[in-house]
Amino acid sequence: MVPTSYYILLSAALFTIGVLGVLVRRNAIVLFMSVELMLNAANLALVAFARERLGVDGQVLVFFVITVAAAEVAVGLALLVAIFRTKQTADVDEVSTLKG
Amino acid sequence: MASLDLLIWLIPALPLLGFLLNAFLIRSERPAGLVASAMVVASFVVTLVATFGLAGLPAEERRIMSVAWQWISIGSFQVPFGIMLDPLTAVMALLVTGVGGLIHIYSIGYMHGDQRVVRYFAYLNLFITMMLLLVMGNNLLVLFLGWEGVGLCSFLLIGHWFERRVAGEAAVKAFVVNRIGDAAFILGMLAVFNYFGTLNFYPVEAGGVSQPGFLERSIEIMGQTVGPSWQPVGVATLITFLLLIGATGKSAQLPLFVWLPDAMAGPTPVSALIHAATMVTAGVYMMARNEAIFQASLTTQGWVMWIGALTALIAGTAALAQWDIKRVLAYSTVSQLGFMVAACGMGAYVAAIFHLLTHGLFKALLFLAAGSVIHGTNDTQDMRRMGGLRTAMPTTFWSFAIGAAALAGIVPLAGFWSKDEILTHALTGNHWPQLFILFLTSLLTALYMGRQVALIFFGQQRDPSYHAHESGRVMTVPLIVLAVGAVVGGIINLPWLHWLSDWLFPVLGEEASSFNLFMAALATAGSVGMGYLGWWIYDRAAPRVKVGGKDPAYRVTGDIWDGMEEAWYLDAAYSRVVVQPFRRLAGFLARVFDPQGIDGLVMGVARLFGWIGAGVRRLQSGYVRTYALVFTVGVLLVLGFILVATR
Amino acid sequence: MDFVLFFVTAAIALIGAIAMIVSRNAVHSALFLLMNFGAIAVLFLLLQSPFLFTIQLTVYAGAIMVLFLFVVMLLGAEQVEDTPDRIAWQRPLAFVLGAGLLAVAIIGAVRAATFAPPPSPEAAEFGDPARLGELLFTSYLLPFEITGVILLIAVIGVVVLNQRGRQRVKVPSEE
Repeated sequence: MVPTSYYILLSAALFTIGVLGVLVRRNAIVLFMSVELMLNAANLALVAFARERLGVDGQVLVFFVITVAAAEVAVGLALLVAIFRTKQTADVDEVSTLKG
Repeated sequence: MASLDLLIWLIPALPLLGFLLNAFLIRSERPAGLVASAMVVASFVVTLVATFGLAGLPAEERRIMSVAWQWISIGSFQVPFGIMLDPLTAVMALLVTGVGGLIHIYSIGYMHGDQRVVRYFAYLNLFITMMLLLVMGNNLLVLFLGWEGVGLCSFLLIGHWFERRVAGEAAVKAFVVNRIGDAAFILGMLAVFNYFGTLNFYPVEAGGVSQPGFLERSIEIMGQTVGPSWQPVGVATLITFLLLIGATGKSAQLPLFVWLPDAMAGPTPVSALIHAATMVTAGVYMMARNEAIFQASLTTQGWVMWIGALTALIAGTAALAQWDIKRVLAYSTVSQLGFMVAACGMGAYVAAIFHLLTHGLFKALLFLAAGSVIHGTNDTQDMRRMGGLRTAMPTTFWSFAIGAAALAGIVPLAGFWSKDEILTHALTGNHWPQLFILFLTSLLTALYMGRQVALIFFGQQRDPSYHAHESGRVMTVPLIVLAVGAVVGGIINLPWLHWLSDWLFPVLGEEASSFNLFMAALATAGSVGMGYLGWWIYDRAAPRVKVGGKDPAYRVTGDIWDGMEEAWYLDAAYSRVVVQPFRRLAGFLARVFDPQGIDGLVMGVARLFGWIGAGVRRLQSGYVRTYALVFTVGVLLVLGFILVATR
Repeated sequence: MDFVLFFVTAAIALIGAIAMIVSRNAVHSALFLLMNFGAIAVLFLLLQSPFLFTIQLTVYAGAIMVLFLFVVMLLGAEQVEDTPDRIAWQRPLAFVLGAGLLAVAIIGAVRAATFAPPPSPEAAEFGDPARLGELLFTSYLLPFEITGVILLIAVIGVVVLNQRGRQRVKVPSEE
């Protein structure tokens, strides 16, 4: 059996890649996808720990995360579409009027 | 005697009552003058009664003390609020209330029609109260209270006509210059307390507790020194030198006499009372009172003598060159005070007090007569515009002449006896420089008085713009009274009767002085000669005196005359060295430091916060990705902290 | 055997993730993410959770990614990001932070987890849906209900946000 820490390391790497994606990319949709990547990395860690601890609680949490992620993606993309209709661009840097 | 204890409180209390009445109740001129004068005259009567009561006591017991309450009670610093009556106090109080009363009566006539006459009488009464506290105080602090009080009243009264800029400035100058002396006086009081543990002059029984005095313990500080080892200063010298500086401020000696000539901007009765008879003599009184410790320091006594003598000479030369009738008398006062101070320095305290008393009489007389001249010539003060007034104002003329003769020291008038006693003391004490200077000054005195008499009363009236007339009886009667006093006043200490010496013996402990016929004759001859010379020169030169022109002597002496007129530019030097830099500093502080420095600092704090805010505001860039960046930094920090903390 | 499988799948996941954030074309990014989700699903399977393997493929890969692709096509947002970054220091700083984050995570992971083989679950029905369902309706009942409400709100929200041509209420001052 593969030791748990391997999965955790993989999860960390995927999470970091997700963070980089959020910080670097300007396209709102790609930014969103990076967020999903981060969520998945977290799910992976949860499931790995669930197996280690021999309890399915971790998997139940993953179930919830997936569900809420789906709802969040729906609403987020609806927002994105609404913004795109007014701004005609999906560049996140354009939406910067809320500044000091 | 119990009743005397309470009686002496009436002496300062009556004028105080007059002040309160005039300040708060009385509104019109007539009652103001009458109440004020009545209070002072009543105080004089009480003083007389108290003095007779004092005389009824045996000589060693002639000191009546009365303490009203314990003014300051802080641990070992005990100061009672008390007054006393002893021979020295009695003569001073008689002078103050007597001459003061006459001047009050005179003021009723002089200040008639003035717009603030009630205020004037209120302050005049307050002045008498403060002066009485000064001479009657039984410790240095009550004396100082009176000292400051008369300084305050002097300020208020010099500036009585404050619409005139000159008056306001003169009042401030008087107060500020006095303050310099007062600062030294306070230091002297501190020194006294430090070395003696008390400020009382003599032992006081108050509240069942006996509080010691310091004047009879001067032996305690003999031999003690203070200061660095390469320049030790005797304790007695330290104390007395500080007190001396205080006296030079109040009694207008070198170098702090510059306020007195300018103080002539006040009403003439004020000049007579404050700047001739009473306030300026406070320094002399203070030195006489503290003679026990002054005598303990030969160093200081040397200073006292030199200061007195030099002041007398310098002021005498200045008096010779003045045009203003009152300024001549002002410098003359400074000069005569120099005589008194020099006498104190020689240890001739009785002579100093004697001269103080006689000077009070004839200088007040001269000032009041001058006031009469001013009044009768429609407020003229410049002697170049006067002349030939003796026919129009005979009473004033004769009073002035008697006063001038007394001042010059012509036998048998009062001034002769007192001035001669001082000169004799200088002779017997082998103080040759001072003797020479003082003798020279007395010659100068006669000279300038002769000049003044000639310029005012002889010749032709040079300025036709006024019609000269004699003053009313309310003004001339005090003149006559004072003139009589100036004539017979010498009787109180004739050399073979020496009543005053005996009277003051319990306090000052001096033997009666001798009479030196040679000195007396020389002095009198000198005075008569110089007086006549002064009169003769200016009577002859009168036609050459032009209104607004230079003195005839200018042709002979040139710029020296101008130097004399400006009192050797001492005042101008002060102005350059002290006053202008202060003004510049004040201007700098007001125009530069305050708006830019202080305001800049305060506004700067505000602007700093604005600047910080503006800087911090830039963090809100509006870019989501920047916010995400900051998030990540925070996450890193938290994770790092967890890692470190759970090591 | 397990190790080989793990490493291959992990490699696919990583490649997919990196390619997703590097790719210029949004559609390509979406497809790479899809690949990544597939790899993760396989990893779930390796971790004895067949139910989650199915859910991941159905919901994430099947529904969410499809939604993403729809929106990309709808907006035509597959354009290339040409303009240079307005915030100059964003990219370098992001890399620094990424590296830091990775370091922290690795340290944490290495310290906490063990490298020993994990204990294997006793029953074969470890990741069985029945087991999950049991927990779901007993211990985690409240979260379950709330999740239902969240989904409802999401649906309503999406509908509201995407209405077209709504009549705006006229502001009185404009009249």
